[in-house]
Amino acid sequence: MSRLGIFVDRKTLSNSEQLNALIRCRDVSEELGHDVDFIFPVDICKIPKMDALFIRARTDPMNITYVAARMAKFHGIPVIDDSESIQICSDKINMYSHLMKKSVSLPKTIFLSRNDLSVEHVSHLFDEMGSPLVVKEPSTSFSLRVEKVHSVAEFFKVARRFIKMSDWIVVQQFIESKYDWRIGVLDGKLLYACKYTIPSVTFKIQASVNGHLIYCGVESVPPDCVPPPVIQLGIDAANAIGSGLYGVDIKNNNGDAYVIEVNDNPSLESGEDTCYPLVYQTIVSHLLRT
Amino acid sequence: MNNRGEDPQIPEIEALHAQTGGAQVPLQPLPSSGAGTNISPAAVTRYQKKNGLKTHARREPAPLKDALHILKRNNTYHVISENYYYKTEPYYTILRYELEGKKVEPSSSSVLDAYVIPICLERAASAGIPVCEWGISQAYVPLPAILYGLNYFSTTLDYFIVDDSKKAKDVIKHITNNGKYPFCYQRYPEGAEIHTCTAIFGRTVGACNTIADYAGKIYEIFRIPLVKLVFVKAGGAFLLSSLSPTRYAQLSDSERALLSAYLSNQEFL
Repeated sequence: MSRLGIFVDRKTLSNSEQLNALIRCRDVSEELGHDVDFIFPVDICKIPKMDALFIRARTDPMNITYVAARMAKFHGIPVIDDSESIQICSDKINMYSHLMKKSVSLPKTIFLSRNDLSVEHVSHLFDEMGSPLVVKEPSTSFSLRVEKVHSVAEFFKVARRFIKMSDWIVVQQFIESKYDWRIGVLDGKLLYACKYTIPSVTFKIQASVNGHLIYCGVESVPPDCVPPPVIQLGIDAANAIGSGLYGVDIKNNNGDAYVIEVNDNPSLESGEDTCYPLVYQTIVSHLLRT
Repeated sequence: MNNRGEDPQIPEIEALHAQTGGAQVPLQPLPSSGAGTNISPAAVTRYQKKNGLKTHARREPAPLKDALHILKRNNTYHVISENYYYKTEPYYTILRYELEGKKVEPSSSSVLDAYVIPICLERAASAGIPVCEWGISQAYVPLPAILYGLNYFSTTLDYFIVDDSKKAKDVIKHITNNGKYPFCYQRYPEGAEIHTCTAIFGRTVGACNTIADYAGKIYEIFRIPLVKLVFVKAGGAFLLSSLSPTRYAQLSDSERALLSAYLSNQEFL
Protein backbone atom coordinates (compact mmCIF):
# COMPACT_ATOMS: atom_id res chain seq x y z
CA MET A 1 0.00 0.00 0.00
CA SER A 2 1.32 3.44 -0.92
CA ARG A 3 0.54 6.96 0.14
CA LEU A 4 -0.63 9.48 -2.45
CA GLY A 5 -0.52 13.19 -1.72
CA ILE A 6 -3.03 15.34 -3.58
CA PHE A 7 -1.79 18.94 -3.47
CA VAL A 8 -4.66 21.41 -3.39
CA ASP A 9 -4.98 25.11 -2.74
CA ARG A 10 -8.39 26.01 -1.41
CA LYS A 11 -7.88 29.56 -2.66
CA THR A 12 -7.96 28.35 -6.26
CA LEU A 13 -10.91 25.99 -5.85
CA SER A 14 -13.65 27.88 -7.61
CA ASN A 15 -16.63 25.54 -7.82
CA SER A 16 -18.22 22.41 -6.43
CA GLU A 17 -17.29 20.39 -9.54
CA GLN A 18 -13.59 20.84 -8.71
CA LEU A 19 -14.22 19.68 -5.15
CA ASN A 20 -16.18 16.64 -6.38
CA ALA A 21 -13.36 15.77 -8.78
CA LEU A 22 -10.86 15.81 -5.89
CA ILE A 23 -13.10 13.51 -3.85
CA ARG A 24 -13.48 11.19 -6.83
CA CYS A 25 -9.70 11.06 -7.20
CA ARG A 26 -9.33 10.24 -3.50
CA ASP A 27 -12.04 7.52 -3.69
CA VAL A 28 -10.47 5.90 -6.72
CA SER A 29 -7.04 5.88 -5.05
CA GLU A 30 -8.46 4.30 -1.93
CA GLU A 31 -10.29 1.68 -4.00
CA LEU A 32 -6.90 0.82 -5.47
CA GLY A 33 -5.65 0.26 -1.93
CA HIS A 34 -3.68 3.47 -1.39
CA ASP A 35 -3.83 5.97 1.43
CA VAL A 36 -4.54 9.52 0.40
CA ASP A 37 -3.61 12.81 2.06
CA PHE A 38 -4.81 16.16 0.83
CA ILE A 39 -1.82 18.48 1.11
CA PHE A 40 -2.45 22.19 1.47
CA PRO A 41 0.25 24.85 1.02
CA VAL A 42 0.91 25.07 4.76
CA ASP A 43 1.53 21.28 4.81
CA ILE A 44 4.24 21.41 2.19
CA CYS A 45 6.76 19.81 4.56
CA LYS A 46 4.66 16.59 4.42
CA ILE A 47 5.60 16.01 0.77
CA PRO A 48 8.74 13.96 1.58
CA LYS A 49 6.52 11.47 3.45
CA MET A 50 4.46 10.72 0.32
CA ASP A 51 5.12 8.02 -2.27
CA ALA A 52 3.72 10.20 -5.06
CA LEU A 53 2.25 13.64 -5.48
CA PHE A 54 -0.65 14.72 -7.70
CA ILE A 55 -0.91 18.51 -7.96
CA ARG A 56 -4.45 19.72 -8.47
CA ALA A 57 -4.12 23.48 -8.13
CA ARG A 58 -3.44 26.32 -10.53
CA THR A 59 0.20 25.94 -11.55
CA ASP A 60 2.75 28.67 -12.14
CA PRO A 61 6.54 28.78 -11.67
CA MET A 62 6.14 31.68 -9.27
CA ASN A 63 3.60 30.11 -6.96
CA ILE A 64 3.35 27.40 -4.33
CA THR A 65 2.60 24.60 -6.82
CA TYR A 66 6.08 25.00 -8.28
CA VAL A 67 7.53 24.72 -4.78
CA ALA A 68 5.53 21.51 -4.29
CA ALA A 69 6.72 20.06 -7.60
CA ARG A 70 10.37 20.93 -6.87
CA MET A 71 10.15 19.55 -3.33
CA ALA A 72 8.85 16.27 -4.74
CA LYS A 73 11.71 16.18 -7.23
CA PHE A 74 14.34 16.89 -4.54
CA HIS A 75 13.07 13.88 -2.63
CA GLY A 76 12.77 11.59 -5.66
CA ILE A 77 8.97 11.42 -5.43
CA PRO A 78 6.99 10.90 -8.65
CA VAL A 79 4.90 13.99 -9.31
CA ILE A 80 2.26 15.22 -11.73
CA ASP A 81 2.78 18.02 -12.73
CA ASP A 82 6.56 17.92 -12.69
CA SER A 83 8.35 21.25 -12.37
CA GLU A 84 9.69 21.17 -15.95
CA SER A 85 6.16 20.79 -17.33
CA ILE A 86 4.94 23.64 -15.12
CA GLN A 87 7.80 25.85 -16.32
CA ILE A 88 7.12 25.08 -19.98
CA CYS A 89 3.33 25.02 -20.07
CA SER A 90 2.84 28.10 -17.86
CA ASP A 91 4.74 30.24 -20.33
CA LYS A 92 3.43 30.27 -23.89
CA ILE A 93 6.77 31.48 -25.27
CA ASN A 94 8.44 28.43 -23.78
CA MET A 95 5.59 26.09 -24.70
CA TYR A 96 5.32 27.18 -28.37
CA SER A 97 9.13 27.11 -28.67
CA HIS A 98 9.12 23.45 -27.62
CA LEU A 99 6.34 22.68 -30.11
CA MET A 100 8.17 24.51 -32.92
CA LYS A 101 11.36 22.65 -32.14
CA LYS A 102 9.53 19.37 -32.72
CA SER A 103 7.72 20.73 -35.82
CA VAL A 104 4.28 20.31 -34.28
CA SER A 105 1.54 21.90 -36.41
CA LEU A 106 0.63 25.36 -35.06
CA PRO A 107 -1.14 28.44 -36.37
CA LYS A 108 1.43 30.98 -37.63
CA THR A 109 3.06 32.14 -34.41
CA ILE A 110 5.68 34.72 -33.65
CA PHE A 111 7.07 36.27 -30.49
CA LEU A 112 7.44 40.00 -30.08
CA SER A 113 9.78 41.62 -27.61
CA ARG A 114 9.22 45.04 -26.13
CA ASN A 115 11.67 46.50 -28.67
CA ASP A 116 9.75 45.02 -31.60
CA LEU A 117 6.62 47.03 -30.93
CA SER A 118 6.59 49.51 -33.81
CA VAL A 119 3.71 50.49 -36.08
CA GLU A 120 5.70 49.32 -39.12
CA HIS A 121 6.40 45.97 -37.60
CA VAL A 122 2.85 45.37 -36.46
CA SER A 123 1.41 46.46 -39.83
CA HIS A 124 3.72 43.94 -41.45
CA LEU A 125 2.33 41.24 -39.14
CA PHE A 126 -1.22 41.96 -40.28
CA ASP A 127 -0.02 41.71 -43.89
CA GLU A 128 1.76 38.44 -43.24
CA MET A 129 -0.67 36.69 -40.91
CA GLY A 130 -4.01 38.24 -41.84
CA SER A 131 -6.66 39.85 -39.71
CA PRO A 132 -7.72 39.39 -36.99
CA LEU A 133 -4.65 38.44 -34.99
CA VAL A 134 -4.63 36.82 -31.57
CA VAL A 135 -2.39 38.45 -28.95
CA LYS A 136 -1.45 36.46 -25.86
CA GLU A 137 0.35 37.36 -22.66
CA PRO A 138 2.62 34.34 -22.11
CA SER A 139 1.38 33.26 -18.70
CA THR A 140 -2.30 33.47 -19.43
CA SER A 141 -4.57 30.69 -18.27
CA PHE A 142 -8.26 30.10 -18.93
CA SER A 143 -7.97 32.52 -21.89
CA LEU A 144 -7.65 35.37 -19.39
CA ARG A 145 -5.09 37.47 -21.27
CA VAL A 146 -5.87 36.42 -24.83
CA GLU A 147 -7.36 39.04 -27.14
CA LYS A 148 -8.41 39.14 -30.76
CA VAL A 149 -7.37 42.36 -32.54
CA HIS A 150 -8.46 43.67 -35.94
CA SER A 151 -6.28 46.77 -36.39
CA VAL A 152 -2.89 48.20 -35.54
CA ALA A 153 -4.47 50.59 -33.05
CA GLU A 154 -6.32 47.76 -31.34
CA PHE A 155 -3.13 45.71 -31.33
CA PHE A 156 -1.21 48.41 -29.46
CA LYS A 157 -4.00 48.90 -26.96
CA VAL A 158 -3.75 45.22 -26.00
CA ALA A 159 0.03 44.87 -26.38
CA ARG A 160 0.76 47.82 -24.08
CA ARG A 161 -1.28 46.12 -21.38
CA PHE A 162 0.40 42.73 -21.84
CA ILE A 163 3.95 44.02 -22.18
CA LYS A 164 3.73 45.35 -18.62
CA MET A 165 3.51 41.74 -17.48
CA SER A 166 6.06 40.17 -19.79
CA ASP A 167 8.98 41.39 -21.90
CA TRP A 168 7.81 39.15 -24.73
CA ILE A 169 4.30 38.50 -26.03
CA VAL A 170 2.81 36.00 -28.47
CA VAL A 171 1.11 36.95 -31.72
CA GLN A 172 -0.79 34.26 -33.55
CA GLN A 173 -2.85 33.75 -36.66
CA PHE A 174 -6.57 33.46 -35.83
CA ILE A 175 -8.12 30.09 -36.67
CA GLU A 176 -11.90 30.06 -36.73
CA SER A 177 -13.66 27.06 -35.20
CA LYS A 178 -16.88 26.19 -33.41
CA TYR A 179 -15.12 23.82 -31.05
CA ASP A 180 -11.67 22.82 -29.81
CA TRP A 181 -10.59 19.26 -29.36
CA ARG A 182 -9.03 18.57 -25.98
CA ILE A 183 -6.78 15.52 -26.11
CA GLY A 184 -5.71 14.26 -22.68
CA VAL A 185 -2.34 12.57 -22.79
CA LEU A 186 -0.47 10.76 -20.04
CA ASP A 187 3.05 9.50 -20.58
CA GLY A 188 2.68 9.74 -24.35
CA LYS A 189 -0.61 7.80 -24.50
CA LEU A 190 -4.17 8.94 -25.12
CA LEU A 191 -6.00 9.28 -21.80
CA TYR A 192 -9.24 10.93 -22.89
CA ALA A 193 -10.69 13.16 -25.57
CA CYS A 194 -13.45 15.72 -25.50
CA LYS A 195 -14.79 18.70 -27.38
CA TYR A 196 -14.90 22.19 -25.93
CA THR A 197 -17.70 24.02 -27.71
CA ILE A 198 -16.87 27.71 -28.02
CA PRO A 199 -19.77 29.98 -26.96
CA SER A 200 -21.09 31.98 -29.93
CA VAL A 201 -20.48 35.31 -28.15
CA THR A 202 -16.72 34.75 -27.78
CA PHE A 203 -13.76 32.96 -29.32
CA LYS A 204 -12.39 31.72 -26.00
CA ILE A 205 -13.22 28.67 -23.89
CA GLN A 206 -14.00 31.04 -21.02
CA ALA A 207 -14.82 34.72 -21.20
CA SER A 208 -16.46 37.52 -19.32
CA VAL A 209 -19.30 38.93 -21.41
CA ASN A 210 -21.24 41.90 -20.04
CA GLY A 211 -20.04 41.02 -16.56
CA HIS A 212 -21.12 37.38 -16.81
CA LEU A 213 -18.67 34.49 -16.97
CA ILE A 214 -19.38 32.35 -20.04
CA TYR A 215 -17.96 28.83 -20.13
CA CYS A 216 -17.55 26.51 -23.08
CA GLY A 217 -19.63 23.37 -23.38
CA VAL A 218 -17.86 20.06 -22.70
CA GLU A 219 -18.62 16.86 -24.55
CA SER A 220 -16.63 13.72 -23.86
CA VAL A 221 -15.95 11.81 -27.09
CA PRO A 222 -15.04 8.09 -27.32
CA PRO A 223 -11.69 7.41 -29.00
CA ASP A 224 -13.15 5.85 -32.13
CA CYS A 225 -15.09 9.07 -32.83
CA VAL A 226 -12.00 11.29 -32.73
CA PRO A 227 -10.16 11.78 -36.04
CA PRO A 228 -6.93 9.76 -35.76
CA PRO A 229 -4.75 12.69 -36.97
CA VAL A 230 -6.13 14.78 -34.10
CA ILE A 231 -5.20 12.10 -31.56
CA GLN A 232 -1.74 11.74 -33.09
CA LEU A 233 -1.20 15.50 -33.10
CA GLY A 234 -2.22 15.65 -29.44
CA ILE A 235 0.27 12.92 -28.55
CA ASP A 236 3.04 14.55 -30.59
CA ALA A 237 2.42 17.90 -28.89
CA ALA A 238 2.43 16.34 -25.42
CA ASN A 239 5.64 14.46 -26.20
CA ALA A 240 7.26 17.75 -27.23
CA ILE A 241 6.75 18.95 -23.65
CA GLY A 242 7.46 15.89 -21.53
CA SER A 243 6.06 12.62 -20.24
CA GLY A 244 3.49 13.90 -17.74
CA LEU A 245 -0.23 14.63 -17.91
CA TYR A 246 -1.31 17.20 -20.48
CA GLY A 247 -4.46 18.53 -22.08
CA VAL A 248 -3.75 19.49 -25.68
CA ASP A 249 -6.15 21.95 -27.35
CA ILE A 250 -6.47 21.44 -31.08
CA LYS A 251 -8.45 23.23 -33.76
CA ASN A 252 -9.40 21.05 -36.70
CA ASN A 253 -10.29 23.46 -39.46
CA ASN A 254 -11.11 22.18 -42.98
CA GLY A 255 -9.07 19.06 -42.32
CA ASP A 256 -6.01 20.95 -41.07
CA ALA A 257 -5.32 20.39 -37.39
CA TYR A 258 -3.40 22.96 -35.34
CA VAL A 259 -2.32 22.83 -31.72
CA ILE A 260 -3.56 25.92 -29.90
CA GLU A 261 -1.86 25.08 -26.64
CA VAL A 262 -0.65 22.36 -24.31
CA ASN A 263 -1.89 22.61 -20.75
CA ASP A 264 -0.35 21.03 -17.73
CA ASN A 265 -2.80 20.29 -14.91
CA PRO A 266 -5.73 19.82 -17.32
CA SER A 267 -9.26 20.19 -15.97
CA LEU A 268 -11.06 16.94 -15.22
CA GLU A 269 -14.09 18.20 -13.39
CA SER A 270 -16.49 19.20 -16.14
CA GLY A 271 -17.23 15.86 -17.75
CA GLU A 272 -14.10 15.68 -19.90
CA ASP A 273 -13.70 12.01 -18.96
CA THR A 274 -17.32 10.79 -19.08
CA CYS A 275 -16.49 8.28 -21.84
CA TYR A 276 -13.24 7.32 -20.07
CA PRO A 277 -14.14 5.92 -16.63
CA LEU A 278 -10.58 4.77 -15.94
CA VAL A 279 -8.88 8.18 -16.12
CA TYR A 280 -8.15 8.53 -12.40
CA GLN A 281 -7.21 4.85 -12.06
CA THR A 282 -4.73 5.29 -14.89
CA ILE A 283 -3.21 8.44 -13.37
CA VAL A 284 -2.91 7.00 -9.87
CA SER A 285 -1.48 3.70 -11.15
CA HIS A 286 1.02 5.64 -13.27
CA LEU A 287 2.15 7.69 -10.28
CA LEU A 288 2.38 4.78 -7.88
CA ARG A 289 3.76 2.13 -10.22
CA THR A 290 6.53 0.17 -8.58
CA MET B 1 10.70 40.07 -33.93
CA ASN B 2 11.95 36.81 -32.64
CA ASN B 3 10.81 34.25 -35.10
CA ARG B 4 12.01 30.90 -33.80
CA GLY B 5 13.03 29.78 -37.26
CA GLU B 6 15.62 32.50 -37.59
CA ASP B 7 19.09 32.55 -36.17
CA PRO B 8 19.06 35.11 -33.37
CA GLN B 9 21.78 37.71 -33.55
CA ILE B 10 23.12 37.81 -30.04
CA PRO B 11 26.27 39.83 -29.48
CA GLU B 12 29.16 37.83 -28.11
CA ILE B 13 32.13 39.00 -26.14
CA GLU B 14 34.89 36.56 -26.81
CA ALA B 15 38.02 38.63 -26.26
CA LEU B 16 40.78 36.60 -24.71
CA HIS B 17 42.95 39.58 -23.93
CA ALA B 18 42.25 42.98 -22.59
CA GLN B 19 42.35 45.81 -25.05
CA THR B 20 44.76 48.38 -23.67
CA GLY B 21 45.56 51.22 -26.01
CA GLY B 22 45.02 49.05 -29.05
CA ALA B 23 47.58 46.40 -28.05
CA GLN B 24 46.61 43.02 -26.74
CA VAL B 25 48.46 42.04 -23.60
CA PRO B 26 47.96 38.96 -21.50
CA LEU B 27 46.66 39.80 -18.06
CA GLN B 28 47.64 38.60 -14.65
CA PRO B 29 44.74 36.95 -12.84
CA LEU B 30 43.05 38.83 -10.07
CA PRO B 31 44.37 37.87 -6.63
CA SER B 32 42.65 34.90 -5.00
CA SER B 33 41.03 33.96 -8.29
CA GLY B 34 37.95 31.75 -8.25
CA ALA B 35 34.45 31.62 -6.85
CA GLY B 36 34.22 31.65 -3.10
CA THR B 37 37.07 34.06 -2.63
CA ASN B 38 37.00 37.50 -1.16
CA ILE B 39 38.97 40.35 -2.67
CA SER B 40 39.89 43.50 -0.87
CA PRO B 41 39.07 46.76 -2.66
CA ALA B 42 42.80 47.65 -2.54
CA ALA B 43 43.67 44.41 -4.31
CA VAL B 44 41.29 45.28 -7.12
CA THR B 45 43.03 48.65 -7.56
CA ARG B 46 46.52 47.06 -7.48
CA TYR B 47 45.42 44.57 -10.10
CA GLN B 48 44.19 47.34 -12.35
CA LYS B 49 47.45 49.27 -12.04
CA LYS B 50 49.53 46.17 -12.70
CA ASN B 51 47.67 45.48 -15.91
CA GLY B 52 47.65 49.01 -17.18
CA LEU B 53 43.92 49.33 -16.71
CA LYS B 54 41.92 52.17 -15.32
CA THR B 55 42.95 52.60 -11.74
CA HIS B 56 40.44 55.14 -10.63
CA ALA B 57 37.56 52.90 -9.65
CA ARG B 58 35.21 55.85 -9.31
CA ARG B 59 35.59 56.52 -13.00
CA GLU B 60 34.61 52.98 -13.94
CA PRO B 61 31.23 53.53 -15.57
CA ALA B 62 28.40 51.30 -14.40
CA PRO B 63 26.80 49.24 -17.15
CA LEU B 64 23.54 50.82 -18.29
CA LYS B 65 20.41 49.98 -16.35
CA ASP B 66 18.84 46.76 -17.65
CA ALA B 67 21.88 46.10 -19.86
CA LEU B 68 22.35 42.47 -20.78
CA HIS B 69 25.82 41.04 -21.39
CA ILE B 70 26.76 37.68 -22.85
CA LEU B 71 30.20 36.22 -22.20
CA LYS B 72 31.31 33.11 -24.02
CA ARG B 73 33.99 31.07 -22.32
CA ASN B 74 34.88 27.44 -22.97
CA ASN B 75 31.76 26.87 -25.05
CA THR B 76 29.48 28.18 -22.31
CA TYR B 77 27.42 31.32 -22.62
CA HIS B 78 27.24 33.36 -19.42
CA VAL B 79 24.27 35.72 -19.29
CA ILE B 80 24.93 38.71 -17.06
CA SER B 81 22.09 40.93 -16.00
CA GLU B 82 20.82 42.88 -13.03
CA ASN B 83 17.91 40.48 -12.66
CA TYR B 84 16.73 37.22 -14.12
CA TYR B 85 13.05 37.40 -13.32
CA TYR B 86 10.60 35.09 -15.00
CA LYS B 87 9.40 36.46 -18.38
CA THR B 88 12.03 39.19 -18.63
CA GLU B 89 14.46 39.70 -21.50
CA PRO B 90 17.34 37.98 -19.61
CA TYR B 91 15.10 34.99 -18.79
CA TYR B 92 14.03 34.64 -22.43
CA THR B 93 17.62 35.05 -23.60
CA ILE B 94 18.63 32.11 -21.42
CA LEU B 95 15.67 30.12 -22.66
CA ARG B 96 16.60 30.83 -26.27
CA TYR B 97 20.11 29.44 -25.77
CA GLU B 98 18.70 26.37 -24.03
CA LEU B 99 16.25 25.70 -26.84
CA GLU B 100 19.10 25.97 -29.34
CA GLY B 101 20.94 23.31 -27.37
CA LYS B 102 23.70 25.67 -26.27
CA LYS B 103 25.29 25.51 -22.85
CA VAL B 104 24.19 28.56 -20.91
CA GLU B 105 24.64 29.77 -17.36
CA PRO B 106 22.58 30.34 -15.34
CA SER B 107 19.91 27.93 -16.55
CA SER B 108 16.29 29.01 -16.70
CA SER B 109 15.34 26.52 -13.98
CA SER B 110 18.17 27.78 -11.76
CA VAL B 111 16.97 31.35 -11.88
CA LEU B 112 13.45 30.25 -11.03
CA ASP B 113 14.83 28.21 -8.13
CA ALA B 114 16.93 31.10 -6.90
CA TYR B 115 14.06 33.57 -6.73
CA VAL B 116 11.49 31.23 -5.15
CA ILE B 117 12.52 31.37 -1.50
CA PRO B 118 11.70 27.85 -0.22
CA ILE B 119 13.38 26.21 -3.21
CA CYS B 120 16.38 28.50 -2.93
CA LEU B 121 16.81 27.62 0.74
CA GLU B 122 16.34 23.88 0.18
CA ARG B 123 19.00 23.84 -2.50
CA ALA B 124 21.38 25.98 -0.47
CA ALA B 125 20.89 23.83 2.65
CA SER B 126 21.61 20.67 0.67
CA ALA B 127 24.98 22.22 -0.27
CA GLY B 128 25.83 22.80 3.39
CA ILE B 129 24.97 26.49 3.61
CA PRO B 130 23.19 27.43 6.85
CA VAL B 131 19.73 28.79 5.99
CA CYS B 132 16.90 30.44 7.88
CA GLU B 133 14.26 28.14 9.31
CA TRP B 134 11.23 28.61 7.04
CA GLY B 135 7.59 27.71 6.74
CA ILE B 136 4.56 28.41 4.57
CA SER B 137 1.48 30.04 5.98
CA GLN B 138 -1.72 31.70 4.88
CA ALA B 139 -2.36 33.77 8.00
CA TYR B 140 -0.53 32.87 11.22
CA VAL B 141 3.16 33.60 11.73
CA PRO B 142 5.38 33.05 14.79
CA LEU B 143 7.01 36.37 15.74
CA PRO B 144 9.50 37.87 15.15
CA ALA B 145 9.81 36.82 11.54
CA ILE B 146 10.88 37.83 8.04
CA LEU B 147 8.07 37.60 5.51
CA TYR B 148 8.26 37.11 1.76
CA GLY B 149 5.44 36.96 -0.77
CA LEU B 150 5.13 33.73 -2.71
CA ASN B 151 3.17 34.47 -5.82
CA TYR B 152 3.32 35.73 -9.36
CA PHE B 153 3.49 39.39 -8.26
CA SER B 154 6.04 39.12 -5.46
CA THR B 155 9.78 39.71 -5.61
CA THR B 156 12.56 38.67 -3.29
CA LEU B 157 13.60 42.34 -3.15
CA ASP B 158 10.63 42.88 -0.85
CA TYR B 159 11.09 41.32 2.54
CA PHE B 160 9.49 42.49 5.75
CA ILE B 161 10.72 42.05 9.29
CA VAL B 162 7.76 41.91 11.65
CA ASP B 163 7.87 41.75 15.41
CA ASP B 164 4.31 42.57 16.45
CA SER B 165 0.99 41.13 15.39
CA LYS B 166 -0.49 44.41 14.12
CA LYS B 167 2.41 44.96 11.72
CA ALA B 168 2.39 41.27 10.77
CA LYS B 169 -1.30 41.45 9.90
CA ASP B 170 -0.79 44.50 7.66
CA VAL B 171 2.23 43.00 5.91
CA ILE B 172 0.52 39.65 5.38
CA LYS B 173 -2.49 41.41 3.87
CA HIS B 174 -0.12 43.20 1.49
CA ILE B 175 2.07 40.29 0.42
CA THR B 176 -0.80 37.82 0.03
CA ASN B 177 -3.00 40.20 -1.95
CA ASN B 178 -5.64 40.16 0.77
CA GLY B 179 -5.18 36.52 1.67
CA LYS B 180 -5.32 35.20 -1.89
CA TYR B 181 -1.89 33.54 -1.80
CA PRO B 182 0.23 31.75 0.81
CA PHE B 183 3.47 33.38 1.95
CA CYS B 184 6.86 32.28 3.25
CA TYR B 185 8.03 33.18 6.74
CA GLN B 186 11.42 32.76 8.35
CA ARG B 187 12.30 32.82 12.02
CA TYR B 188 14.09 36.02 12.96
CA PRO B 189 15.87 35.61 16.30
CA GLU B 190 15.90 38.43 18.86
CA GLY B 191 18.87 40.72 18.28
CA ALA B 192 19.43 39.46 14.76
CA GLU B 193 20.30 41.78 11.91
CA ILE B 194 20.15 41.66 8.13
CA HIS B 195 23.44 41.47 6.28
CA THR B 196 23.59 41.81 2.51
CA CYS B 197 26.37 41.49 0.01
CA THR B 198 26.76 41.25 -3.74
CA ALA B 199 28.42 38.28 -5.38
CA ILE B 200 30.01 38.60 -8.81
CA PHE B 201 30.65 35.20 -10.35
CA GLY B 202 30.70 33.87 -6.79
CA ARG B 203 33.24 36.40 -5.57
CA THR B 204 32.76 39.16 -3.10
CA VAL B 205 34.64 42.37 -2.46
CA GLY B 206 35.41 43.26 1.13
CA ALA B 207 33.27 40.53 2.72
CA CYS B 208 34.39 38.28 5.57
CA ASN B 209 35.70 34.80 4.76
CA THR B 210 32.49 33.06 5.85
CA ILE B 211 30.32 35.11 3.50
CA ALA B 212 32.90 34.79 0.73
CA ASP B 213 32.80 31.01 1.13
CA TYR B 214 28.97 30.95 1.03
CA ALA B 215 28.97 33.22 -2.03
CA GLY B 216 31.23 30.74 -3.83
CA LYS B 217 29.00 27.80 -2.89
CA ILE B 218 25.88 29.67 -3.98
CA TYR B 219 27.50 30.37 -7.33
CA GLU B 220 28.31 26.67 -7.69
CA ILE B 221 24.61 25.84 -7.11
CA PHE B 222 22.83 28.48 -9.16
CA ARG B 223 25.58 29.83 -11.47
CA ILE B 224 24.12 33.34 -11.30
CA PRO B 225 26.87 35.84 -12.15
CA LEU B 226 25.39 38.82 -10.37
CA VAL B 227 23.25 38.36 -7.30
CA LYS B 228 22.54 39.95 -3.95
CA LEU B 229 22.80 37.62 -0.97
CA VAL B 230 20.59 38.37 2.01
CA PHE B 231 21.66 36.82 5.32
CA VAL B 232 20.31 36.94 8.83
CA LYS B 233 23.19 37.41 11.23
CA ALA B 234 22.34 35.91 14.59
CA GLY B 235 24.69 34.83 17.36
CA GLY B 236 27.72 35.25 15.13
CA ALA B 237 26.32 32.94 12.46
CA PHE B 238 25.11 33.92 8.99
CA LEU B 239 21.93 32.20 7.79
CA LEU B 240 20.88 32.61 4.16
CA SER B 241 17.48 34.28 3.86
CA SER B 242 17.15 34.91 0.14
CA LEU B 243 18.81 35.71 -3.17
CA SER B 244 17.65 38.76 -5.01
CA PRO B 245 18.45 40.88 -8.07
CA THR B 246 20.86 43.74 -7.79
CA ARG B 247 21.29 47.01 -9.63
CA TYR B 248 24.46 48.00 -11.47
CA ALA B 249 24.07 51.45 -9.97
CA GLN B 250 24.17 50.00 -6.45
CA LEU B 251 27.53 48.26 -6.94
CA SER B 252 30.44 49.73 -5.06
CA ASP B 253 33.39 51.08 -7.06
CA SER B 254 35.41 47.93 -6.39
CA GLU B 255 32.50 45.63 -7.29
CA ARG B 256 32.01 47.61 -10.48
CA ALA B 257 35.69 47.19 -11.31
CA LEU B 258 35.49 43.45 -10.68
CA LEU B 259 32.42 43.13 -12.88
CA SER B 260 34.11 45.16 -15.61
CA ALA B 261 37.12 42.86 -15.43
CA TYR B 262 34.83 39.90 -16.13
CA LEU B 263 32.84 41.66 -18.84
CA SER B 264 36.00 42.57 -20.74
CA ASN B 265 37.51 39.13 -20.20
CA GLN B 266 40.31 40.65 -18.13
CA GLU B 267 39.30 38.19 -15.46
CA PHE B 268 38.63 34.62 -16.59
CA LEU B 269 35.85 32.38 -15.46
